[in-house]
Amino acid sequence: MAAAEARYRKKRLDRGIKARADTLYVICSYREILYLLLPRALPVIALLLLPLLLRGYWGKVLVYACVYGLLALSWDFLASCGLFSLGQSLFFGFGAYVAGILSYHLHLTPAITLPVATISGGLLSAVLLSPVVRLRGVYFAMVTLMLPMLLLKMIETTGLVGGCHGLSALAPFYNEWVAKYLALVALLVCLFGFRRIINEDYGLVLRAIKDDDRAVMSAAINIYWRRIQALFIAGAVGAFAGAFMTHHYQFVGMSAFALDYSILPVAAAALGGAGTFAGSALGTMILVPLSESLRALGGLRIALYCVILIGCVIALPEGIFHYMERKYHQFERLVKVG
Amino acid sequence: MKSKILWIFLAIVLLGGFSTPGPTKSAEPIIIGVPTSLYTPFGRDGLNAVNLAVEEINAKGGVSVAGVKRPFKVVTADTRGGEPGTPVHDALMAYEKLILDKKPHAIVIGAFRSEVLIASMDLVAKYRVPQLGTIAQTPGFQGKFKKDPEKYKYLFRVTTDALIDAGYLSAALDSLKKDYGLNRIYLIPQDTLWALGFVGLLRKHCGKTGWEEIGYEPYAAGATDFSPGLTKAKEGKAQVIAMVWDVPLGAGIFCKQWAAMKVPSLIIGFVPPMAAPGAWKTLGKDIEYSIQVEFPVGASLALKKLPKTGEFLDKFHKKYGKLPEAAAVNSSAYDAVFILAEAIEKAGSLDPDKLVSALEATDYRGVGGRLRFNENHITVFNENPEETGICVVFQWQKGERVPVYPPFLAEGKILLPPWMK
Amino acid sequence: MSTLIYGTITSIVLALYTIGFSLTYGISGLANFAHGAIYILSGFTAWSFLNQAGLPFFLSALLSIVISGLLGFALYWGVLLRIRGMALSELIVTFATGVAILELLMWKGFYGIQYSLPLFVKGGVEMRGVAVDYQRLFVIGTGVLLVILLWLFVHHTRIGLAFRGIAQNERTALSVGIESDWIGALSLAFGSALAAIAAMVILPMGIMESAIGYEVLIYALAVAIVGGLESTSGMIGASFILGFSQVVTAKYLGARWMIIVPLSAIILVLIIRPSGLFGKFKEIEERV
Repeated sequence: MAAAEARYRKKRLDRGIKARADTLYVICSYREILYLLLPRALPVIALLLLPLLLRGYWGKVLVYACVYGLLALSWDFLASCGLFSLGQSLFFGFGAYVAGILSYHLHLTPAITLPVATISGGLLSAVLLSPVVRLRGVYFAMVTLMLPMLLLKMIETTGLVGGCHGLSALAPFYNEWVAKYLALVALLVCLFGFRRIINEDYGLVLRAIKDDDRAVMSAAINIYWRRIQALFIAGAVGAFAGAFMTHHYQFVGMSAFALDYSILPVAAAALGGAGTFAGSALGTMILVPLSESLRALGGLRIALYCVILIGCVIALPEGIFHYMERKYHQFERLVKVG
Repeated sequence: MKSKILWIFLAIVLLGGFSTPGPTKSAEPIIIGVPTSLYTPFGRDGLNAVNLAVEEINAKGGVSVAGVKRPFKVVTADTRGGEPGTPVHDALMAYEKLILDKKPHAIVIGAFRSEVLIASMDLVAKYRVPQLGTIAQTPGFQGKFKKDPEKYKYLFRVTTDALIDAGYLSAALDSLKKDYGLNRIYLIPQDTLWALGFVGLLRKHCGKTGWEEIGYEPYAAGATDFSPGLTKAKEGKAQVIAMVWDVPLGAGIFCKQWAAMKVPSLIIGFVPPMAAPGAWKTLGKDIEYSIQVEFPVGASLALKKLPKTGEFLDKFHKKYGKLPEAAAVNSSAYDAVFILAEAIEKAGSLDPDKLVSALEATDYRGVGGRLRFNENHITVFNENPEETGICVVFQWQKGERVPVYPPFLAEGKILLPPWMK
Repeated sequence: MSTLIYGTITSIVLALYTIGFSLTYGISGLANFAHGAIYILSGFTAWSFLNQAGLPFFLSALLSIVISGLLGFALYWGVLLRIRGMALSELIVTFATGVAILELLMWKGFYGIQYSLPLFVKGGVEMRGVAVDYQRLFVIGTGVLLVILLWLFVHHTRIGLAFRGIAQNERTALSVGIESDWIGALSLAFGSALAAIAAMVILPMGIMESAIGYEVLIYALAVAIVGGLESTSGMIGASFILGFSQVVTAKYLGARWMIIVPLSAIILVLIIRPSGLFGKFKEIEERV
């Protein structure tokens, strides 16, 4: 009788330190406090220190990455509410144009235009998308994909708000450092803010809407109103990103509604892991510097960037952040079966 | 395991990207920056022209800066402005990276898309790098320049703009009216500012000189179907169709559609696929009798009366094995390098402000004619090669491009197609 | 009269763009965002065979259709299988593939006026005062032929019936022995081959450039959504609606509004009838 070959399966267990850190007694030990604190504190400290280390061109790339990070966070927030959006550039464009118009025609400073653009951008996007808030899944995605394209073509055709040439020579920020830290702090506030919101009761309802909207409806909660609120919040964040870019580059044109601004946040979320806001932010922090560093390759830049993106998405379909999180909290070992 | 390999691969790529060479502090070469849309015919041939000029100058030892001869060195960046969907911010990042990383002493060619040009004016003014633009034709350049000449003094345009090109074609229209009595015209501009300005001027001219306007139909830049306009032209019995387009996609489709629909009108204007040297081979004898404007001279057509154009095109052909593709702006890129060299020698230094003053006093006889800047930092073009820059209007006759206007350059008369008599 | 003729031509062109895309989506639920890129790639492949290898046009066209099909198959089998079912990843991967293909084409220098496929037959006819060239008539013929052939294929051949089986209910099809991986790969192969066929008849009417890839994708999406993502007859109906509205807009409103039409149409349709004008009215799935 042939001996049956030993078969193994992978077994995952929480690390000991995680099990201890989950309870109240985490406060008794420095090790456990650090275990919880370090993953959150390290990125914050690193991000706050980076502008001092990166000067010139790479400093600008960092700001660029933070702006895209804001777009990715707003995407992730909508995804957590079940609204799969392919049109982040809509929010971006609204914020950019409101800030641009205020700055160009009324000559207001960024200190005024930024808040106004953020709020009005959020309002505009919520209002514009409220007729389609009943749609689900791929249909909502299609509308959000087409809307910015329509607006772009309309601006090009009608020549309103600067038309093809756009509005240029707008007011810059008071100070380079103010600009950099504004973007960074906004990113951090949004990241941790969204994580907080989604874990509060308010966010719980939003997540429930994502899971099963009819069940939430039957609990006498008006899901349309909640969705519009979610659109407002995400829209405001996206509009802030747009308004910031307008003043940073002192220019706004019809390319504020470009497809690029819609696709990159989605790619970042796919790469970093949708669902956890940290994943999307991490995704942009990887993708934007990657794209910039590939400029040295000239023509092959975008092609290679796409190939790398495809490779990463296939190799880690769950997303980098989920993978990292799992490795941090759990360990694996092979266990004999039978 | 898979993901580990991926991490290592990513790390190598990122490190490789971060370790781009630092700014060249060595004072030896004079660095010319070329940030433009390199993967369009205009960008590619413009870069080729620049490299040709740089080679020639370096072969003679270089440019003398306050007694020291230094060679030129060209660094490029692809702004991807010619591709649809590239946000302007992306193009500006490429521009800024070139300026910050490679620290060019001057920029030649500049942005391709008008939107990017206007946006880049602030960027160039901020970093104080003299720029000689040789592609974008929008009159918006002068408009913006006039708003703050002191701030934008670093920017120059070494080529034509849409209004000049329109002036030449208006004269050709005049002779069509005078010699053949044609008077019905249909206008199709691309819906971008430079083309609208171009055709707008033609339209005004036609209105003043008694042409009957059958229609004026701007098409969006991404249009792929011109049958409505061509049908209207045919139904309105238009004798001339004025068409100005630069996006190769639409232009190619227009040419083929016009031939396919057998519209009995003469094409006049600027449609790159119809004006290029290789057009006869690609599009066939359908394009015979179409009248196109080349701006400035020497971009792709050698003229007997202006030997410099022939010389430039011969050198280009010898080095690259073929003629430049677009019938526009290539010779401007070539001339711009020489203008820059002359200005550097005159100024005796690479200091931006001194260079700008020297550039303002430019008086260079190049391939495009006699090139001088006016108070808005654009080159003056007119009809006398001894005084100003020159463009040429030509017509396809029997497989050859025959210059027909201005009179001193003409090697033939405008002919009417047999099906129009 | 000319509006009628050119409206029909535009509609059939739109239908040809979409037929491959909607086939792939209908069968395997995969929205192939690389559709436009494969379309233009097949054009350049045919051009290379024609001009660089000196083969006759029909052979080049045939070869490039086969190559497109193989490319679609390889894309599914090698790449998409691993992320099957994850809509987000599928979207990103297909879109990135499309962009990578287009960028590689540009990097290789495939732009310029010499990149043009020859017309099949030169010349044309006059119909009631409107000149129509043979190529456009050929396009109409090809469109009609393809739809008929596709209908016959999907209803009467084994593979076609397997396609419909997977489209209707994947689990049941699996239990009858139809392998969904294989069929999925075949659906992408067929979709790409259809895109190539469309390219072979439509591209000779103009000049080839990478930007066409994005154009075709947007139009295919527009027609597919307006018509209903899973119904072939819906797609045809939608292409006619969009095609004619484009030509009519150009005639009466002005050509610069032509591009706005398909985009507004999609949004309107999505607000009023998300399943498309002719799609099965899936109220429960499409809206709350």
